[in-house]
Amino acid sequence: MSRGADLARTFLALALTSLAPAVAAHQITPPSADFVAPAAGSYRLERIYRAPSGRVVDVHGSAAPIARYTQGRATLLSLMYTQCNDEKGCPLALHTLDVVRKQLARMPQAKNRVRLVSLSFDPARDTPAVLRDYAGDRVRTLPAVPWSFLVPAAGPALGQLLEGFEQDVSRANGQDGTASADLSHVLKVFLIDRHGWVREIYSTSYLVPQVVINDVKTLLMEDGARFP
Amino acid sequence: MNSFLRHSLGRIAGTTCAALLAFGGLTAPTPVHADETCNSPFMGKLIKGQEDFVYVWTLGIEGVGDGSDKLVTIDSNPKSPNYGKVIHKLSVGRRGEAHHMGFTDDRRYLWAGGLDDSRIYVFDVYSNPAKPKLIRTIADMPAKTGLVGPHTFYAMPGRMLVQFLSNTKDHGGVTGMAQFTNKGKLIRTHAMPTDNGGDGYGYDIGINPGKNVMLTSSFTGWNNYMMDLGKLVQDGEAMKRFGSTMVLWDLKTMQPKTTFSVPGSPLEIRWSLKEGDNWAVVATALTSKIWLVKQDGSGQWQAKDVATIGDPSKIPLPVDISITADGKGLWVNTFMDGKTRYFDLTDPENPKQTFEKETGKQVNMVSQSWDGKRVYITSSLLANWDKKGDADEQFVRAFNWDGQDLSLAFEVDFHKEKLGRAHHMKFGTKAVRAAHGPQSTPVRVAASDVPGR
Repeated sequence: MSRGADLARTFLALALTSLAPAVAAHQITPPSADFVAPAAGSYRLERIYRAPSGRVVDVHGSAAPIARYTQGRATLLSLMYTQCNDEKGCPLALHTLDVVRKQLARMPQAKNRVRLVSLSFDPARDTPAVLRDYAGDRVRTLPAVPWSFLVPAAGPALGQLLEGFEQDVSRANGQDGTASADLSHVLKVFLIDRHGWVREIYSTSYLVPQVVINDVKTLLMEDGARFP
Repeated sequence: MNSFLRHSLGRIAGTTCAALLAFGGLTAPTPVHADETCNSPFMGKLIKGQEDFVYVWTLGIEGVGDGSDKLVTIDSNPKSPNYGKVIHKLSVGRRGEAHHMGFTDDRRYLWAGGLDDSRIYVFDVYSNPAKPKLIRTIADMPAKTGLVGPHTFYAMPGRMLVQFLSNTKDHGGVTGMAQFTNKGKLIRTHAMPTDNGGDGYGYDIGINPGKNVMLTSSFTGWNNYMMDLGKLVQDGEAMKRFGSTMVLWDLKTMQPKTTFSVPGSPLEIRWSLKEGDNWAVVATALTSKIWLVKQDGSGQWQAKDVATIGDPSKIPLPVDISITADGKGLWVNTFMDGKTRYFDLTDPENPKQTFEKETGKQVNMVSQSWDGKRVYITSSLLANWDKKGDADEQFVRAFNWDGQDLSLAFEVDFHKEKLGRAHHMKFGTKAVRAAHGPQSTPVRVAASDVPGR
């Protein structure tokens, strides 16, 4: 097995040491990643599209434009909902971001230059209080790489954000043909540069911590950061 | 191509010319690894049960119906009163050599291309899966990119990667790929390699994210694929201009790593979907071989010829393959003899043919359901390469596969229905409904683009 695969599995093992709210760690099957992630700065990340605008509410109930959370720093943003029970969906993203964040927090070059955001697309159920419980101590720890849990404000924000991030959300039909309460979506985590451009999009098959970390480093290198 | 092959193919084409004279499936909540066996691993919403619809990207024929390319929707659910019937057809108002299609990662949109006019159409198959809508037409790619003939539409996270076949400079086979957002905005292009053994040609794309690799294959340029087949095979210089390479790319960096010599125009690429497998297969059109691309014991990627399809001296022309979800079987359609073959891939180093049947006078695409129980076949290869006269059947045929034989479930005669030439197929489902999100609204990327103009 390659060194990269070892690293990837180590990261994932670390990730699985904490519990996701909806899915137990042992239920999560990380994506297979049997390769050495290309070195940071050895490739370019395209400007895919601008992160959308819209108002969001944090776990304290405070509203603000989402630009406050998508500009000024490199941002890893996960679109999610707290009741997602698919082990290859939101719980996997949460764990992967946990791992990535811990690694980034050890890098002086990332201090105060990177943030994480989990943005719910289920405002009917994911109230600020629900998000606060879901987030646990993530909103308080590792302040050098802060993590915000947000939900769209009432009104058009949900549609604007889903449309802007090109995120599908649908309901699967139950056996009787009626709509299920479960939301179906393709897992997407976005890497956004400090100018608000989406530079990479990850889904289940490619949500590999070392790839994400090297992408963040690549963005930081654009702004002059150096990594040994 | 060597002179023997040229002679053989010419003989068959000559015969053709002479004849002229005479899912109830539910979708998974989130993606797993792959679609119904042949699509991008980044695609979600697998149809693992009964597919409700088969979408058929159909070439228009002058004087038949409205003569335009169209997306035809066939009801494929046996429980439906419309089973086996055309329930919708959506004309794009012009003929542009309709060819292949591909879903976006969220399976909401179906991209389809024209090899002649280089147009890309985006259909909404989500708002009402029984009645797709044309929501976007991208008409300016040749001017913007220098690329011609959009062939493979491959989902990446939030993007589409499109493999072209040709170029604006000489309409030959040197070409490239282009990345788009799901909304159709061009992000960047990637040239196919012309150094280190690369011939610059392109055809299909196959990605293995767990290995961080992408494979591409190679066909031929506009000058050849738009030429009458009988004329083409008599043109010795033109017959030299077919692809003979596959390229292994670093997926993350999108840089070519290795170029393999794979003579005879390697076409569709199918990665084994079985967890842990590290190989893909491809069939070569002109040499009638199955090639295996696999990592060796030291982790290096190698390509080798592992099986023969039919009698290569008769140029059966393998044109499409479909791998089973467990990676243990492979359907192969050969255009010239109209046969559908099944190979046992239990040992991918040594595929064994276990079944064959003539399923048409000419057959092209083959698509199977995730459970492998249903196999769908179309008839058209390219407008100018299809057979002539009575041999020019145009159909979609659905078969049931019991592991021993293919039994016809239904057939749609595309001549009788005045539809055109049936080419590429994708499956649809009505099992998912919108929870949030705006309604689709028509958007045009190029202001000059109006279907039918």
